[in-house]
Amino acid sequence: MRRRLFALAFIAAALALGCSKRSAPAPTASGTPAARLRLAMIPKGTTHEFWKSVHAGAVKASRELDVDLVWKGPLKEDDLKSQIDLVQSFTAQKVSGIALAPLNDKALVASVNAAAATGVPVVILDSALSGGNIVSFVATDNRAAGGLAGERAAELLPNGGKVVVLRYQEGSASTHEREQGFLERVKAHPGLVVVSDNQYGGPTTESAFTASESLLLAQNAAGGGVNLVFAPNESTTFGMLLALEKSKLAGKVHLVGFDISDKLLKGVQTGEIDALVLQNPFKMGELTVHALVDQLRGKTVPKRTDTGAQILDRKNLEQPEIQALVKPDLARWLGQ
Amino acid sequence: MSAPPPRFVARSVGKSFGGTRVLDDVSLELAPGSVHAVLGENGAGKSTLMKIIAGVERPDAGSLELEGVAYAPAGPLAARARGVVIVHQELSLCPHLTVADNIVLGSEPRRFGWLDDNAATERARRALGLLGASTASLRLDARVAELSAAEQQLVEIARALAHDTCRLLILDEPTSSLGHADAERLFATLGELSTRGITTLYVTHFLDEVRRVADGYTVLRDGRHVESGKVQDRTNDALVTAMAGGAVQLEARNEHEAGEVLLTLRNLSGVRSPRDVSLELRRGEVLGIAGLMGSGRTELLRAVFGLDRVKSGEIRVGAAAGPASPAARLAQGVGLLSEDRAHEGLALALSIEQNLTLSRLRPLLRHGLLSPKREHAVAARFIERLGIRARGPEQRVGELSGGNQQKVAVARLLHHDVDVLLLDEPTRGIDVRSRGEIHRLISELCGAGKTVLIVSSHLDELLAVCDRIAVMKKGVLGAARPARGLSERALLEQAAGA
Amino acid sequence: MGPLAALLAVYALFCALAPATFLGALNLATMLRQTAVVAVTSLGMTFVILLGGIDLSVGSGVALTGVVVARALQSGAGALSAVAIGVLVAALAGALNGALTAHAKITPFIVTLGSMSVLRGVAKGLAGEQKIDAEPRGLETLMTGGANALMPSGVWLALALALLGAVVLHYTVFGRHVVAIGSNVQTARLCGVPVERVILAVYALAGALTGVAGVLEFSTLTVGDPTDSLGLELEAIAAVVIGGGSLAGGQGSIAGAMLGALLMTVIKTGCTHVGLPNWVQEILTGVIIVVAVGIDRFRRR
Repeated sequence: MRRRLFALAFIAAALALGCSKRSAPAPTASGTPAARLRLAMIPKGTTHEFWKSVHAGAVKASRELDVDLVWKGPLKEDDLKSQIDLVQSFTAQKVSGIALAPLNDKALVASVNAAAATGVPVVILDSALSGGNIVSFVATDNRAAGGLAGERAAELLPNGGKVVVLRYQEGSASTHEREQGFLERVKAHPGLVVVSDNQYGGPTTESAFTASESLLLAQNAAGGGVNLVFAPNESTTFGMLLALEKSKLAGKVHLVGFDISDKLLKGVQTGEIDALVLQNPFKMGELTVHALVDQLRGKTVPKRTDTGAQILDRKNLEQPEIQALVKPDLARWLGQ
Repeated sequence: MSAPPPRFVARSVGKSFGGTRVLDDVSLELAPGSVHAVLGENGAGKSTLMKIIAGVERPDAGSLELEGVAYAPAGPLAARARGVVIVHQELSLCPHLTVADNIVLGSEPRRFGWLDDNAATERARRALGLLGASTASLRLDARVAELSAAEQQLVEIARALAHDTCRLLILDEPTSSLGHADAERLFATLGELSTRGITTLYVTHFLDEVRRVADGYTVLRDGRHVESGKVQDRTNDALVTAMAGGAVQLEARNEHEAGEVLLTLRNLSGVRSPRDVSLELRRGEVLGIAGLMGSGRTELLRAVFGLDRVKSGEIRVGAAAGPASPAARLAQGVGLLSEDRAHEGLALALSIEQNLTLSRLRPLLRHGLLSPKREHAVAARFIERLGIRARGPEQRVGELSGGNQQKVAVARLLHHDVDVLLLDEPTRGIDVRSRGEIHRLISELCGAGKTVLIVSSHLDELLAVCDRIAVMKKGVLGAARPARGLSERALLEQAAGA
Repeated sequence: MGPLAALLAVYALFCALAPATFLGALNLATMLRQTAVVAVTSLGMTFVILLGGIDLSVGSGVALTGVVVARALQSGAGALSAVAIGVLVAALAGALNGALTAHAKITPFIVTLGSMSVLRGVAKGLAGEQKIDAEPRGLETLMTGGANALMPSGVWLALALALLGAVVLHYTVFGRHVVAIGSNVQTARLCGVPVERVILAVYALAGALTGVAGVLEFSTLTVGDPTDSLGLELEAIAAVVIGGGSLAGGQGSIAGAMLGALLMTVIKTGCTHVGLPNWVQEILTGVIIVVAVGIDRFRRR
């Protein structure tokens, strides 16, 4: 009695909610169901715009390559333990391959190696893993992307000037690469002087804002002590933008930032932000699935794939390829 | 014209719970404005019958009639709407609300959807007025938590009467938490209600009360109807026989040889009560403490046992003084039987054996672990010795009748093998048979060299079991006098007099 | 045996929905491994809830233990001493909960609501608001195991602790006192039970078990993560309640709590195998918890 009640309630719920999802991939004539590849993709989270774009790109590739894709992020955003649990569960389930955006470069190594040992190949995307038996690493080349920003800084200050870098956080590998890429390129231009590169914005917009305010004061930005600021991610860019606005320096001090959000986009439109470096999450999702499927179908796969970065500014804002990055057509791929 | 039709009729009502027939072929007829007593031991089916009439349970046989019309309430609310209201033994007031709020609770008068305080106050005043002069001192805006147990009882009854339609009032053991004066107040109220044509169904153990307030009576035994009639036609002995179903040995008087002093109190004072109390308790004697509700009798026992704080004075157990905590007292051989079985005396959700052994688990240990076998054996021994009616040692105490629960609580003291027994209202709310058994046990224990300090509101009980009796009044304990020379009247005068 | 029936029912259901993968030994072992941390915390939670209390600080306690262990390893401590320090810190935190509950007479809900925040803050501060890398010195094998990695030692440890806990609960004076206090604290006092001391001991015990869970968590993560185990306390409470525990105290069983913890892992893993999105999984988890407890209570009535 009791068990039947349970089963009934559960089946009803599971079928009602789950069916639409599982019938979504288009069936094909070729190949038996057993031979069909089933890939699992584990992002860092599921609610951010960035990961939706990655998902959309992955769906596009999975349809082109005729494979099944399971998209499953940690239940709680950025929860390391549940990401490890997911890798283990997919390994136990013996999916054909796993794509993983690791929340931590060390903590996931053991689970990834265990997957590889059971014969499940793993491709890493977005953030690097320290070691581990992986097929390929698909991500933005952050050093090159930082270099793009540095190049733009030189263009904005043709007669030289004072440059500030607001770093993101200690121990964050990707932003560190961006900062280094930026600094390398800036130092190649003798007119540009880096007056500060040892301040950190911290994890939130709030902390970045506070750090930016003190930094601007310390460098006497109001008195012309700073000509250009580089911020290596969304929260530091936004925090710096707020600080510039508050001290009435927005538009006077150049700001080159990283990543995109509605508020940053508005900053570009009003001219308060000179340029943003954009990653290409859609392409990242697409190339990751390609790498995994290539490996499974016996082709050679490069160890490292750069998914590229692009500069967004007021001039190229309306160009279609930039718009595709700013507002990707998620509905087409995610069916929402 | 012929006699008016009966207010309420029950015909051959029956009810089973899970295969057990708890009520079988019970009939009842109540005249308008009468007070009818329902008598019976615990487990006789009184509560079930009341629940059926109040709409809490549904009968599975027989029929009910209210004022000549079929009556089958779907629930307590439906019963209420027809004018049938029950006041439970455990009060069900909201302590943080005021008297007026409680009286109108569930049928608050409204104006444009808002609470109408004036109408509520008016209705509450009217309901209290029905209860007669005894409610004059009650403030409608007082919080119920601040009231005495007796006043709370009156509020509870007033709530029942707040519905203009009240035709049948059911009182379940209403005096169990009332002192003598408050009980008198309640009886006066019942007379008042009777003159207003409200019929009262009165459930009790106390024959004195029955004689005092009821016109008719019905005796139930083991779920069956034994007899009905007019109270004045029957002696107390006859009623007891009908309830118990056989000859019941009423408590026998005790005379004990007193030995050395086991418990000494010198100038003991608590926070409010007791005040400057001194007494000596000797091996083999029973000392009774009489007094009104709120006179500080319970507080005295609790202070001795270490449950209430002692402000000054000395407590000696034998030769030892020691710290005052329940654990220390138990170690010294002093045990307390709480007056509040349900909330303090017993953990109702736990089994008989768990309750029984809780204060002394050491003898159950084998290699440092509790041995279920030993625990069963201990519990089984006391179940047999005290005649506890239960399915077995593992039955939950909450499922037992009041008398059997009390025996489990007493058994705990016996298992602990205390020398000094502090018994607070040991026979409250239990049936005649269990009462007799507990009285016999007290006598037996004294014979075995224990000593008993007993607090009771039943003066007849004190007179029957005690060697000496002292009266407590406002925290002060009078001199203990031999019970042989005392009468109920003398004790009452001392307790209530100027 | 309500929780067992619920577990079997949900398990059978997922076996039917994902027959190819769900039944495998590898999957069973993985589920046991993923249950270990919740199981050990709900062990402590069973004692606390039996007592009539609640402990909302276990999630933070697990994170703090992980950070403390990582910091200790980082500063050169051996694996054993790092574990000892971690468990000790968690037990002390638990004892503090107990002292405030028993002696300062603050409701445990409030006390542990406070310590939930305090411990989380301490963990973040100690970790400098980032994940701490430390050479695990063999601790990682607790949850990954060696070559025959099907059942790592951490799972055996959890099982052994559960067994020990059940013995303590049913066959010791301490266990009996816990149940008595949860059932009716006044009766316990009347019977000379050292109520305050037992309360303190139970919260300290729960703290120590939280510490053990924190060590297992560290073994899984191999880093000290101060943001880890958010909401773990609710999973532990759910496990106890699914297992027949009552938040009013006096009721609850260790076997039940273990089954409850396993049930939640089965739901989690099952949803992954069937490929349900996260939002469906969250709805299902909630529904199954309420239905399992609801049917159990209805049946007992």
